[in-house]
This record gives sequence, structure tokens and C-alpha cells, in this order.
Amino acid sequence: MEREHAAAVSIEGLRKTVTVGFRRRRVEILKGVDLAVREGETVGLLGPNGAGKTTTLKIALGLMRPSAGTARLGVAGLHEVGYLPENAYFYDYLSGRELLGLCARLFGLSRSARDERIVEALREVGLEEAAGTQLRKYSKGMLQRIGIAQALINDPRLILLDEPMTGLDPIGRVEVKRIIQRLREEGRTVLFNSHILADVGELCSHVAIMRSGEVVWRGPVEDAVPSGGGSLEDFFVQVVTEGAVEPESAESGSPGVTL
Amino acid sequence: MSRAFAIAANTFRETIRDRILLVILVFALAMIVASLWLASISLGQGARLMQDFGLVAVSGFGVIVAVFVSAGLVRKEIDKRTVFIIFSKPVGRGEFIAGKFLGLSATMAIVIFGMTVFLFLLVWAVAREPSGWLLLAGGFIYLQVLVVMAVTIFFSTFASPILAAVLGLCVFAAGQLSHNVLSLTQLGDSAALQGLSWVVFLVVPNFSAVSLAPVVVGEQVADWSTIGGWGGYLVAYAVIMLGLSWLVFRRKEF
Repeated sequence: MEREHAAAVSIEGLRKTVTVGFRRRRVEILKGVDLAVREGETVGLLGPNGAGKTTTLKIALGLMRPSAGTARLGVAGLHEVGYLPENAYFYDYLSGRELLGLCARLFGLSRSARDERIVEALREVGLEEAAGTQLRKYSKGMLQRIGIAQALINDPRLILLDEPMTGLDPIGRVEVKRIIQRLREEGRTVLFNSHILADVGELCSHVAIMRSGEVVWRGPVEDAVPSGGGSLEDFFVQVVTEGAVEPESAESGSPGVTL
Repeated sequence: MSRAFAIAANTFRETIRDRILLVILVFALAMIVASLWLASISLGQGARLMQDFGLVAVSGFGVIVAVFVSAGLVRKEIDKRTVFIIFSKPVGRGEFIAGKFLGLSATMAIVIFGMTVFLFLLVWAVAREPSGWLLLAGGFIYLQVLVVMAVTIFFSTFASPILAAVLGLCVFAAGQLSHNVLSLTQLGDSAALQGLSWVVFLVVPNFSAVSLAPVVVGEQVADWSTIGGWGGYLVAYAVIMLGLSWLVFRRKEF
């Protein structure tokens, strides 16, 4: 039971400022993000474009450095994390199996573990038959699924997905939703960004809403969808445009890895 | 280090599957074959001319391939955002740089030694007197190419691929000329010019001194301790440039 309540992601006071343009104008992308994701939760990170969702994930993964604050992963570092970037591009000269082999080697898996995990990951995303096909011949939906497979190759406890439904046709969306649903049922922690609120409402246990570099609301999906009527979309628009709802205070998690 | 080898294997696969490499290689082999024409008009110096011209072709094409491939090696991963896949896994920036370098080194080994062996067989078929030093000269060209690759990768960590390629070629050219420039300035009176030429001589890799072409064609006698020393110099230079690349790259955000 203890593990269920441990923080898988703990972000406190996260700030990021970048300089842009010839005159090196300073732009604050993140203005003090506080967010805690507990183990076993499936959290949808919502927000309009430019709210700072992707930057938050990148800092948590160490792809960017914070200007202030901390982003801690309550797992054993990147060894236990799977990540699917937004509009992911993979080495298109590789086959699906070769890509997974490369990713497994980057996680330091032994040859036998690699072979086992590649078969499992391909099965999990339903791409066994296309395993030997070069990625340049994959459809958008297949690429997204192989992207999820590479995120699962290390059998991670924490999975971060950046816009996993973007650009997919309805069938592709259903396939990806099924995978996320299964990850949730397996008790893995999933944090994903999305603009498709219906999917978030369907898949997530919790929602966090970002606006202008801050988390302005975080809570269970049920609290965002009033039983008396209304939808997650209405609630999201209300929070983003009016900011009328007080944010839930982020809880600090268990000791983890400071990135 | 196993992660660096995984990246190296992938880089090797990427470059070897690139058809432009095959096109350049075929063109280079055609240039080497063209040395037959030089041999036919050389009045008894056929083997010497073929080896001299052939080694220039091996070096020239080797450097061109190395510079243009290595200039885009790191930047392409950033532009195509495959770095997200790599660095969201427990991969260090140094492992990435080392892996990219090792992978391209393996490809260049095939390119350089393929061309050198082809030249050796051509000289043997035509003149029946290929020098065994020809193969060692190919080895030294390979070491020079590794240095040019390391220099270009260093430039590519902060410059665009085009600029990195131009700078890489400039360093190669300066390395070919630095010894002569130093000798020339020592003849003059300008202390400032002499000092500047010393600085350039020390900073850029000294390629003119490490060529084995004069040994191959019998103009110089080989000295193993000197050959070993220059080989060590080239390896050390490449390692230092890769270290500098890591210093720049480890600060990069994606």
C-alpha cells in the first residue's frame, strides 16, 4: 500500500527562463510549477499551446535544465522511465525490431533480456508482423505504437507520453488508448500531455491543468467533471480562461532522483 | 561504454546504408583507375605516379566523406529530435559523442582501407611493384581522417553543419600547409608573423609531417620511431578534440 502513495514524480517550484531573438529577450516559460504524481496514477497534463507542458516533461527527464526549483523522479532514475516525445521521429532506416534492440541496449539490457523484451513490447503494441519492416514504411499510427513500444522496452514503472494521440486517425487513437488503458490496469504510473480532453477524461485518474507556465488546477477527474452536468472541456475552458478554481497544493513526494 | 557501442553500431548502420556514400566511393575508385592514364605517360615512373596520385585520391575523398558526414552527425540527431529518444534513457553526453565518432570511424575504416587495397591491387596488376608501405600509408590517411572527423564533430556541437564542414575542411587545409608556412616565416624578419605561424602550427594538426607518401614512392626512408610518434600524435589530437566536443555538448539543452 505504501508504494501506491509514493510520489513517482515530484516537481516543486520549477522555473525556466530562456532568451530569444537577437536582443536576447528573456521569456519565462515556467513560472513555478508544482506537481506531484503518485505511483499508480494516470495523470493527464492539460493546457493550451505554450503552457509549458512539454518543457515540464523535458526538465523532469533531464533534457533541459531548470532555472530554479526541482523535478524529482521517485523511481531509480531513467532506468525505470519510458518516454514518448511529441511527434516522435525514429531512425527510419531501422526496422521496428532494430529500433527496439537499440533502445534496449541503451538501457543496458542483456542479450537474453533484450530478446525477451523486444518480443513482449512488440506484442503489447500489436506490431509483431511489422517487426522486420523499415520504419519509413510505417503509417503514423504504427510509428506512434512503435514509439510506445520503445518507451516500454525497459518495463518501466513510470511512463511519460507527450501528445500520444496527436495526428492519429480514429483507429490509431483507439489503438493508443487501448495501450494506455492497459498500462493503467497494470498499475504503472502514466503522465501524458494531450489536447484531446475526451481521451483524458476516459483514461486518466487525475488531471493537472497548466496555464502560462503554472499548474492552476490538479485533482481527480471526477472533481473536474461535475456530476450535475458539464464536461471536462467546459471545466478546462473555465480554468484556462477565467482561472476561477483554486489550485490543489502539490504534495512533496518520497525521496527520489534529483535531475 | 556498452551504450557508446550501441550508438556506434547504429551510426555505422546509418552511414553504411546511406547511398551517397556508395556514389562517392565509386567516384573515388574511378579516380584511382584514372591514375592508369597518368602511368601511361610517365616514362618509366608509372608505379610511382599511380601510387602518388592514388594516395592523394584516397586522402581527398576520405576527407570529403568524413567532413560532410561528421558535420551532420550530431546536428541531424538534434534537428530530427532523435536525441529525445537517446537522452531520455540513461545515456551520457560523452557516451553519445564517443558512439557517434566510433560508428563513423568504422565506416571510414571500410572506405579508406577499401580504396587503399584497391589501389594496391591496381598497382600490382599494372606495374607489379607495389610498395608494402602503401598499405601503411593508407593507415596514416585513416588516422588523419579520424582527426578531421573529431575536429568537425567539435565544430558541429555549436555551429551549423555547413559551417562545421567548411571549418573542418579549413583545418585540414591548414594542417597540410602549416609546416611550410612555419618554414617560410622563419626566413623573414617579422617576429609577430613568426609567432603567429608558431601558434597556428601548434594549434592545427600537422598533417604535412605525418604523410607517408614520400616513403611509399621512395623519396624518404621510413623511421619506425617517428612513424609511431606521429601516429600517437594524431590519436591524441583526436581524443582531445572529442573531449572538447563533450565539454560543449554536455551543456546543450534539447
